[in-house]
Amino acid sequence: MADVSPSKSLIKGVIKLTLFLGIGFAVLFILNKVLAAPTEDGYRFFPVIGSRVWVWVIAQLHLNFAAFVLGVPIFAVSMEFIGWRRNDERLDRIAYDFTKLFTLAYTLTAAVGTILLISLPVLYPKFIDHLMKILGPTWWVYVVVMYVETLVCYYYFYSWKQMKGNKKGKHVALGGLLNIMGMTMLLITSAWVGYMTTPGGVSDTGELINRWHAIKTYMWIPLSLHRLVANVVFGAGIAAAYAAYRFITAENDEQRAYYDWMGYTSAMISIGFSLILPGVGYMLGVEIYTFNEQMGIQLMGGFFAWLWVMQAILIGAILMFVNYYLWISLNKMPGGERYFKYVKFLFIVNLLSYAVWLTPHSIALSLEEARRMGAYHPVLGSLGVMASKNTAVVVSYMATFLSFTIFKISNKEPVVSWAKLGHAIRAFVIVGSTVAAIAIGIYSYMVTSAVRVKILSPIQFGIFFLSIIILFVLDSMMYKGAKIIGEPKWGKMPERSQYALIGITVTFTWLMAMMGYMRSGGRQFWHVYGIMKDTSPDAYLPTHGYAAVVSSIVTVIFFALIGLLFWSIMKLEKASEKGGAKT
Amino acid sequence: MKGGILKLLIVVVGLNIFFAYIGLYFLPQSESRPPKETKIEKGITQEDLIAVGEQIVFSKGQCMVCHPVKVEVGMRAPAISTIGAEMEKSAKERNMKMENYVFEALVDPSAYIQKGFENMMPSIHKPPTSLTDGELIAVAAYLQSKGAKVTISYPESVPILKEEIDKEAKKGGK
Repeated sequence: MADVSPSKSLIKGVIKLTLFLGIGFAVLFILNKVLAAPTEDGYRFFPVIGSRVWVWVIAQLHLNFAAFVLGVPIFAVSMEFIGWRRNDERLDRIAYDFTKLFTLAYTLTAAVGTILLISLPVLYPKFIDHLMKILGPTWWVYVVVMYVETLVCYYYFYSWKQMKGNKKGKHVALGGLLNIMGMTMLLITSAWVGYMTTPGGVSDTGELINRWHAIKTYMWIPLSLHRLVANVVFGAGIAAAYAAYRFITAENDEQRAYYDWMGYTSAMISIGFSLILPGVGYMLGVEIYTFNEQMGIQLMGGFFAWLWVMQAILIGAILMFVNYYLWISLNKMPGGERYFKYVKFLFIVNLLSYAVWLTPHSIALSLEEARRMGAYHPVLGSLGVMASKNTAVVVSYMATFLSFTIFKISNKEPVVSWAKLGHAIRAFVIVGSTVAAIAIGIYSYMVTSAVRVKILSPIQFGIFFLSIIILFVLDSMMYKGAKIIGEPKWGKMPERSQYALIGITVTFTWLMAMMGYMRSGGRQFWHVYGIMKDTSPDAYLPTHGYAAVVSSIVTVIFFALIGLLFWSIMKLEKASEKGGAKT
Repeated sequence: MKGGILKLLIVVVGLNIFFAYIGLYFLPQSESRPPKETKIEKGITQEDLIAVGEQIVFSKGQCMVCHPVKVEVGMRAPAISTIGAEMEKSAKERNMKMENYVFEALVDPSAYIQKGFENMMPSIHKPPTSLTDGELIAVAAYLQSKGAKVTISYPESVPILKEEIDKEAKKGGK
């Protein structure tokens, strides 16, 4: 695969993308001629499963692949840069492997995107006409950026070997350009979703007043930021799954050691970035509330309230997988056995936090039920509120950060003279920040929701971030030049640890599918909230069970395709090895 | 290796079945259908008007999303159970007719914010809630019934409602 010359790769990219677009437009043209005209209110119906489920599955699959190909380049290029500056071949190799993954995933992304390109105008012509009327020019910018991004991506990957040495700086700059293109695409697509959910720049009847205002909606920037961070988390998760797959199928110790390290690195990037997600998610929530308080409350405490419990189940499961993985990893660290005694305490803290996080605010599903029982459940009502949930989230993230810290320092002994004081400061920061977070959580019950949302919750998360920054800096200083008890024995991991990595990624993918549904469902029975009503037979929110089954189907299809991608990479590598070319 | 791939498949498919199972059997199952318009007949009795208003408050109006039934600590919006009495007090303070005050609170809620609450209620005669004139009158009658004398009726109160809608439109409110 890497034996294609960089210039030929550009031609390959143009042909591939033009082919997909050409097929898309041609099929669209034919279907519009062949199929019966849409209904009076502008719908066609997909056979058997219905238009909504079809578009739901395809859009989510496309979103998953897009998240992957936009998220991975961010840390791949960063690693290439660090590897280049430090002259570290191993970092360059992992950056190259990440690049191989997302470059080959582009084809799948484009294929699923083409199906979506055909499906939307065929099944929802009136709605797409409206979107084109309001945001049409952005679609053409999107096509241009897509071409540039694909070309830069292909050139970036296929020129890797040729641009080593004194051309490395230019190659890294090319990676930077790739990320700028990726972010531009993210901004454009977020503008579309932002307009549908928190519209602006149009009259009450949907006439365009100001296109820039239709782009620059309440949701635009916070959604873009949220997606940007989530893409890195997701992309790194898929890279970890790839490493786990390669570890399980490894044929020798060298491969096992490399893919163990790759899995660990990817998983820590994923979890590290996930720490930012609650913060940017909070910003997104604030903007939704600012646009329309009802929509915000409906999303958080109305029909979707139980899906936040589901979200807690999933994030809690992810944290459990991560902690389990880190605890097993202590086995490969010489000196790690000294820390086994702390694991059970961290487990208890995680379990208790998980239990609080899982508590629903109300056992009612509908407003009718809420009325009958007096709005909230008498017992669950007090534990299931954001005051306690935010506290539980902060505490469990703190416990997970500690698991990570323990792993990092487990094979080292500090040699600085102030090591004892350092340990005392660390204990003070951990205990102090946890007590402060709990105290703020308790105090949050006594104030108005506005004070809690706008002042106390940001302080609570702020304390958490400040404490992990302090701990990070403290450990960097304390363990500088530390005595190494022994190097990590990469590859000396039981196979079950790799299933924990797969578990993280599967759970995160499922979570993405569910959150995508919630974000879209927040509009309820509107294509464009408050502007264009959904009058199709699908204009209702299905049961949570139905949504869960669709999320599982999407996730299984996605993993089948990703599995195919992993398998193809291995096949191509073997073919290249046989042909004598390096991949 | 083959055993590893099989286990991998089991983890992927197993987790997805598990999550679908939680969604199907641990979460409550109900659909959320779009609300239907309630037709208010001319000459409807005040009792019936209040009953219709109550239905709208708890369904199409989505008032319960923010307003609790009873007074509670940290509530986002005034409690329904005492809202009529509260409105009567505020109307007197502002030297307004009660009917005008109630309609203003529905179509131009930012005109006056009760102490201790934030300006967050949307005008509910506009999308996405889009209550009709009849529905607004029914809701207003129901709110009055919570601690105040009910003076609103249909269609007699339509001119006062229109007056408040016009005032809001002239202000160019959202």
